[in-house]
Amino acid sequence: MVRLSDLPDYEREHLLDKNLGPLGPPAWVPPGTPLRERRVALVTTAGLHRRSDSAFDLTDASYRVLPGDLGAADLVMSHSSVNFDRSGFAEDVNLVFPIDRFRELAEDDVIGGLASNHFSFMGAGLLPEAYEASARDLARILHRDGVDTAFLTPV
Amino acid sequence: MSAVAYYLESAGIATTGISLVRENTKALRPPRFLWVTFPLGRPLGLPGDAAFQRRVVLAALALLDAPSGPVLEDYPEDVPDLPGDDVFACPVRFPPRASGRGRWGSALLEEIALLRPWYALSRERRGRTTVGVAGTLVETLAERLGALLDAPERLPGTLAELTELKRTLADLRAFHEEAVTAQPGDPPWREVRRLLWRESVLGDAMLTLRDRFDASGDPRLRAFTRVLVPRGALED
Repeated sequence: MVRLSDLPDYEREHLLDKNLGPLGPPAWVPPGTPLRERRVALVTTAGLHRRSDSAFDLTDASYRVLPGDLGAADLVMSHSSVNFDRSGFAEDVNLVFPIDRFRELAEDDVIGGLASNHFSFMGAGLLPEAYEASARDLARILHRDGVDTAFLTPV
Repeated sequence: MSAVAYYLESAGIATTGISLVRENTKALRPPRFLWVTFPLGRPLGLPGDAAFQRRVVLAALALLDAPSGPVLEDYPEDVPDLPGDDVFACPVRFPPRASGRGRWGSALLEEIALLRPWYALSRERRGRTTVGVAGTLVETLAERLGALLDAPERLPGTLAELTELKRTLADLRAFHEEAVTAQPGDPPWREVRRLLWRESVLGDAMLTLRDRFDASGDPRLRAFTRVLVPRGALED
């Protein structure tokens, strides 16, 4: 469980060291679009990529493209951190990258649809500001694809 | 995660998602996140449980209707306790650890040979493997790691060598973990961790490297120890 009170002192201190202030004025897209009309992209920081893609470097603010029709068998993880469990991801990719859940939601018309591509960063070893350029680049790609909503998963 | 959400939202893409460390998310004040109590590495909670995962996803998507933000909501459901570790049986008995014997390569290869049938079973059952980051056979990776360990005076000197070492270890660990969890069911992750770090030759190899890198005095190697061995490696 990631309740800080449940963790050993060294782990609690390590995680609290990552408490950084806001990146700027609040960012907020007002609600209004019904969920069933939203086009959703999945964005993870789990360091996922296609087997044929270049692995993430030790620290790396770039992202990898995960095509919308990507099969689980083609997905690998090159995250630098060793401080999380990977056996669950080996058992079920949806535990980290819930692509099948979102395909079901699209099929059931709960959401409007899914993006042509999804995306993975590798969240480790860099300050939050390091991701600004690639995240803003990604936003432009999402707009061009008609995506209005991103669903984000850490690891 | 919070940073990517913030920058996407500020560029006009509405964001929502999962937070694993509430305090970090609260401090950065991204637009919308659902905090869950699940273990690191398991943001959707339970592998193979589509209904559970769907509930988590829908709870996070519901935050898109919040009239104002930032929103950081607590998800009310915990993951149920895993079956006791006593019901999890490691399929192999690991060979003796190689520390100090100067035969790391052969010890690592012996361990891989023991695990390989279970790895094959894992691939068959899961229909996939997460091994494949380094782009070569795990036996070749084991020989590479063994050569490094069998020559204590030889330390990686460049960023490229450290990057290659990271990828080598990623595949060796994935091979090990997939093999020991080849049998069906949600693997008890603490026991998987204990087997790697307390019993296996591979765990011993990484602990040995960590000690050498720490003792080297080289700041880059000492920094690398953070991606070699997890903070809680020897807790179990």
